[in-house]
Amino acid sequence: MKQLLLVCLLLVPGLAQALSLTGEVRWQGEVHQTETVRVEPGASLIIAPGAKVTFAAGQLEVAGRLQARQVSFAGTHWQGVVLKGCASDTLVADSSVRGAEIGIQVIGGEPRIEGTDFESNRVGLELRQSQASVSGCRFQDNAKVGLFVKDESRAAIINNSFIGNGKFGCYIFRAQPRRFAGNTFNANPVGIMVSYFGSDPLLEENCLTGNQVAIRVDRAARPTLRRNDLRDNGTGLDLYRRADPLVEANRIAGNKVGVQIAYSSYPQLHGNDLSGNGVALLLKDQSMVWEREKGARVRSGAASQSPFGGRKRGQVGEAQRAPRQQDGSVDARDNWWGKDATAELTRLGADGNVSFIVDGRDSAGFKEDGKLYPLDVVRYAPWRLEAVTWP
Amino acid sequence: MRMWLPKILLLLSGLLLAACTPHQNQGLQGVVQFDGQPLAGVQLAVYLQSSGDRTTQPFATAVSDGAGRYRLELPPGRYYLVAKKRQTDASGHSRMLMAECPTNPLRLTDAPLEVPGFSLREMGQGGRLVADPGTGIGGRLLSAGKPLSGAYVYVYLEDAAGLRGPSYGEAVATDADGRFRVELPAGSYYLAARKRADGARFGELQPGDLNGDFAANPVRLAIGQTRQLPDWSLTPVDAKVRAERFRQGRFAYSATGLAGRAVDEQGRPAAGIYVYAYLDSRMVGKPSYISAPTGADGRFRVNLGEAGRYYIGARSTYGGPLEPGERVGTFDGKADHRAEVKAGKTLALGDIVVREVW
Repeated sequence: MKQLLLVCLLLVPGLAQALSLTGEVRWQGEVHQTETVRVEPGASLIIAPGAKVTFAAGQLEVAGRLQARQVSFAGTHWQGVVLKGCASDTLVADSSVRGAEIGIQVIGGEPRIEGTDFESNRVGLELRQSQASVSGCRFQDNAKVGLFVKDESRAAIINNSFIGNGKFGCYIFRAQPRRFAGNTFNANPVGIMVSYFGSDPLLEENCLTGNQVAIRVDRAARPTLRRNDLRDNGTGLDLYRRADPLVEANRIAGNKVGVQIAYSSYPQLHGNDLSGNGVALLLKDQSMVWEREKGARVRSGAASQSPFGGRKRGQVGEAQRAPRQQDGSVDARDNWWGKDATAELTRLGADGNVSFIVDGRDSAGFKEDGKLYPLDVVRYAPWRLEAVTWP
Repeated sequence: MRMWLPKILLLLSGLLLAACTPHQNQGLQGVVQFDGQPLAGVQLAVYLQSSGDRTTQPFATAVSDGAGRYRLELPPGRYYLVAKKRQTDASGHSRMLMAECPTNPLRLTDAPLEVPGFSLREMGQGGRLVADPGTGIGGRLLSAGKPLSGAYVYVYLEDAAGLRGPSYGEAVATDADGRFRVELPAGSYYLAARKRADGARFGELQPGDLNGDFAANPVRLAIGQTRQLPDWSLTPVDAKVRAERFRQGRFAYSATGLAGRAVDEQGRPAAGIYVYAYLDSRMVGKPSYISAPTGADGRFRVNLGEAGRYYIGARSTYGGPLEPGERVGTFDGKADHRAEVKAGKTLALGDIVVREVW
């Protein structure tokens, strides 16, 4: 006989003591906690639709199973919900999480988080080493990051929206989501940040508009960007510190700067619509001469810092970080640059100084320690003669 | 006949000694380095076997000179060369540098052998290891007789810390069949494995998490050698044992300690901060002592086993590499973050400011 310990906490606004929950526990109505509540391994917490769960301190820590549909989680000085190794039968759906240090932190496991609003948390949702599924959620006005994907997470992140978060809409750090598609980003300082060696996800069919920077790739990350729509941002794609993404068939249009490339970044840009940007391609502090002279040394210094500033052995070798392309050019062949730009390309030819690309043809370079380093140049020929279309 | 016997024995002994005594032009020579510089005073020890107890008397020894150069007179044969040096830094703390010669075994004929230069490593420091080609360890983890996926195998360079904490040199996860493989440089390693219920790679083990050290530690590895270890079983952490270890461990109260408060840049108490006390002024690797995480009031206490000079840092993560968004700070009462603690006293450090790092 199935044994269930059924504890219904029918709490009007009031205090419940710190709890360690075992068996099957149900919450409904208004539940107020003042300390951490832990759902033990093997236990289940089922929260009825319409419930309002508030925490004055502590966190809801689930090592068992959580079922929460149409539930409001809120608090003023609380840590948030922590899902530790929860299986796919843990579900948070059509709910809201507000006011937490980290709205929901998922450590391991593969819970499902669907249609949930994350608002006014320090970090909305954090995934660590997790295969969680996150879909249809809204991340808005979180102080630092809407969604943090880190530490080798292989999550699926689909059809979510990220609006007005303090620093980053979504930050992918040392992680490789198994699917990242159909998400929208608006009014974030940085819509998507992909950082560090080992962060090589496929970002596909996402829409980013009105962000200061739509997508930034940093520190030897090598994502693939395919069929994304980056329009009307300050900068569409910002490649910084050895960022080598593969950028294919995206619409990067109507931004002040389409693609900014800096500090030894060598992307592959092919089949994109790069029309209507203030500047389509901007190279900044980008020089293969500098890279050959200083790149490895600068990276070695940065990588050998311990958290407290001391020296420590780097975790990523220079062989992994070094650029694969070393001819002093940025590969941007086979793109659509717009109708007027195409006319200019036709007029100036394969090695002309076109007005919509800022590279070594425009500037002598940049100075560092009194030495002038020449800017790289963009290889843009051949170019597309017709606009890129998407079915 | 009796009169001749001592003379014959003497003659035979002389012949044997002549055969065993190396010629002046026979032997090993080379240079040892540390941190890219030649290192003097390194003890070079030669063994006849690849494995076994390295604390036994070596076959021959030498010490490197001021240019990091050494020379060992040896008869022809097959040898294993190990270099080590105990060093004391400016703050009076010692550290052990060590390395097995990457080209072991060394085959010596009747001509001198110039051994390729190699570098010593500091034992017990964090940071990943740079593997030698084709060199590594593989195996399989079990729990209750079944393959254990999603567990982590930790590779330590020494066992002084009881194979606990964040000072491991490498960590790898097991696959769906419970198997793991880790590429390593040639050397000697101590292996431990854990599987936390939450799947995390690091953090305090909780009751029910799985834990186990490899029974045949240390595992020795020559360059180009891949060792397949026997199956290795993990067992659950017992709540009572853990509680006792916790009580006796680093959180146990001692009269000698450090106390203070972690605050953010606005001076507000910072919760969830660990305060680390290092003996090593570089503040890398495993701290000697660590506080429990701060609560809402930001207060911390670090219980110290002994008085002395410590270097103090604080961060919001229990070990592991620095992550964006992490809060980090140092005790800034002194420029080098040091605090001098007297026996039986609690030194008040005041506020340690932790800042977000992006």
